[in-house]
Amino acid sequence: MSTSIDTLESVGPSALKRLQSIVGNQQFILLLVLVALVIFFGERNSLFFTSSEFSNLLIDFSGLALIAVAETYVIISGGIDLSVGSTQAISGVGGGFAMQSLMNHHMSETGVLLIGAVICAGIGLVVGAVNAVLITKANLVPFVATLVTLSAGAGMALVFSRGAPIGQNPEAVAWSATGIGPFTWLVIIVISITTILGITLHVSKYGRNNFAIGSNSFAARAAGINVKRHIASVYMLSGILAGLTGMFFYIRSGAGSPQVGASSNLVAIAAVVIGGASLTGGVGRITGTLLGAGILTIVTDGLIFINVQPTWNQVVVAAFIALAAVLQSIRPGLRS
Amino acid sequence: MSNELQPIIELRDISKSYGSVKALIDVSFKAYAGEVIGLVGDNGAGKSSLIKVISGVHAQDSGHLFVDGIERHWKSPHDSMEAGIETLYQDSGLAPDLTIGANIFLGRERRRRGLLGRLGFLDQRGMEREALTELEKVGISVPASKRTVSQLSGGQRQAVAIGRAVMWAKHVIILDEPTNHLGARQSQEVLKVIAAAREQGLCVLFISHTLPHVLEVSDRIIVLRLGRVVRDSPTAEYTVESLLGTITGLSEVTNN
Ligand SMILES: Nc1ncnc2c1ncn2[C@@H]1O[C@H](COP(=O)(O)OP(=O)(O)OP(=O)(O)O)[C@@H](O)[C@H]1O
Ligand SMILES: [Mg+2]
Repeated sequence: MSTSIDTLESVGPSALKRLQSIVGNQQFILLLVLVALVIFFGERNSLFFTSSEFSNLLIDFSGLALIAVAETYVIISGGIDLSVGSTQAISGVGGGFAMQSLMNHHMSETGVLLIGAVICAGIGLVVGAVNAVLITKANLVPFVATLVTLSAGAGMALVFSRGAPIGQNPEAVAWSATGIGPFTWLVIIVISITTILGITLHVSKYGRNNFAIGSNSFAARAAGINVKRHIASVYMLSGILAGLTGMFFYIRSGAGSPQVGASSNLVAIAAVVIGGASLTGGVGRITGTLLGAGILTIVTDGLIFINVQPTWNQVVVAAFIALAAVLQSIRPGLRS
Repeated sequence: MSNELQPIIELRDISKSYGSVKALIDVSFKAYAGEVIGLVGDNGAGKSSLIKVISGVHAQDSGHLFVDGIERHWKSPHDSMEAGIETLYQDSGLAPDLTIGANIFLGRERRRRGLLGRLGFLDQRGMEREALTELEKVGISVPASKRTVSQLSGGQRQAVAIGRAVMWAKHVIILDEPTNHLGARQSQEVLKVIAAAREQGLCVLFISHTLPHVLEVSDRIIVLRLGRVVRDSPTAEYTVESLLGTITGLSEVTNN
């Protein structure tokens, strides 16, 4: 059995080795790419450097950050969650109905939003629990299980809402613009949750178990880890975060739209892969994911800024995923 | 073995099937503290299945497992670990993407002291450091423990797995083909580790296809064939030839 180190070392040329040591720090490369993109778009259109655009970037980043973090946990554990997009839609719609009825009963705006957030998270938790049961009890592979809930969730969101946004709430939109400087309260909340979950992934026993299970689930089980319970919890966490993202978009747009998040599962997975996680599990970093999400946000917004047809967006995202895959394949010692 | 001694492990009529494959049929034996038991048999004889029942990876279909005289029903490998039984699995029990230290402490992580520890922060540095010293204690030297296991050679991986089992075992160590991937010198090291564990009063279940190793280190040898115990005798009663004959079934010396 030869590890990839052995094979690469036997090739030997020092140029390749040097490339490895630079690329080995993928986080650093990602940071360079991010800075380069900012400079590139700023050169083309100096408005890109304004604080209002910075604020916009933060908001768009926040709409992606929670599900990207969720997907990081799931992918490191060796799974995948395709349902994070449609869970946003079903929670936004479900939460929208609930908040509408609360508003009809003249509840205060703060009360409406707080209860709405709990309901959205709760709907997300239900979807996550369904995923957990399908994966750990019915033994479906995560791809199939979450494809089922993806379709079911998207369908239900459309049926219940009859295709229209639910729970018109202009006050929520007004609140969404408030905050500290370019950081709106929404952004601050998202960054806080992201930070806590990011630290948890890398310093806690829960996080350690997540890596161990993705790396070798037999070894994890043999070491006394309750693998099924952990996997179930990861999908429920992912569901909650997707539900909260549904609430995020409800507040931003002032209604729960069944169309929201249609392709965001793929964007979230892309952010994780660009960030250096392995789709076979066991490898990944939260900082990588956040840099990946930052890069994708800047590209998406920047292309609009320099008047490129939005249809090109997906092509550019694809190019970044391909680039990330190449970086991974020449990274030393990743796996044997 | 004297009868008033309590066996640390006793199996009574353990049977286990995977679908229609009968992997274990009415397996019974006793194992005592301070004893090395060699467990041998052809490929597919049921050795790994047997130890997975003892360690709680699989549950038996029928039969009883006693540890220190008390009947136990493991719900998971966690339960057997709690009871002081450590297992090195043939099909790698390590997580390749984790560091050596993280693997050594897998399932037994320690938290940091103080507030951070109470918030759930693991003592990663302390564990990495201790992993290295513990491995050295059992005579295994590995490169810096910050490396992931995937960056080790096959033999080094095996060494880490053995070190982990030895480090945590309180009563029983089960080693399923521990000399796999190892060179002659390292294999001898493993045999020394086994002998040292016996000196400490541990019970060792040693599985290997290398019969001279088994004859060298074990006090008693149990031969499995097609899921049944066909012989269970003190090592002195075997020669390489008779052992081979019993394993393959060509010589019909059995103890029933
Ligand atoms: N998870 C499993 N599912 C189905 N059958 C299995 C499984 N594990 C083992 N078996 C079967 O049970 C029988 C005993 O296998 P086991 O792994 O216990 O043998 P072994 O003595 O350890 O062999 P080896 O020396 O090759 O490691 C074999 O027929 C094997 O094919
Ligand atoms: Mg085996």
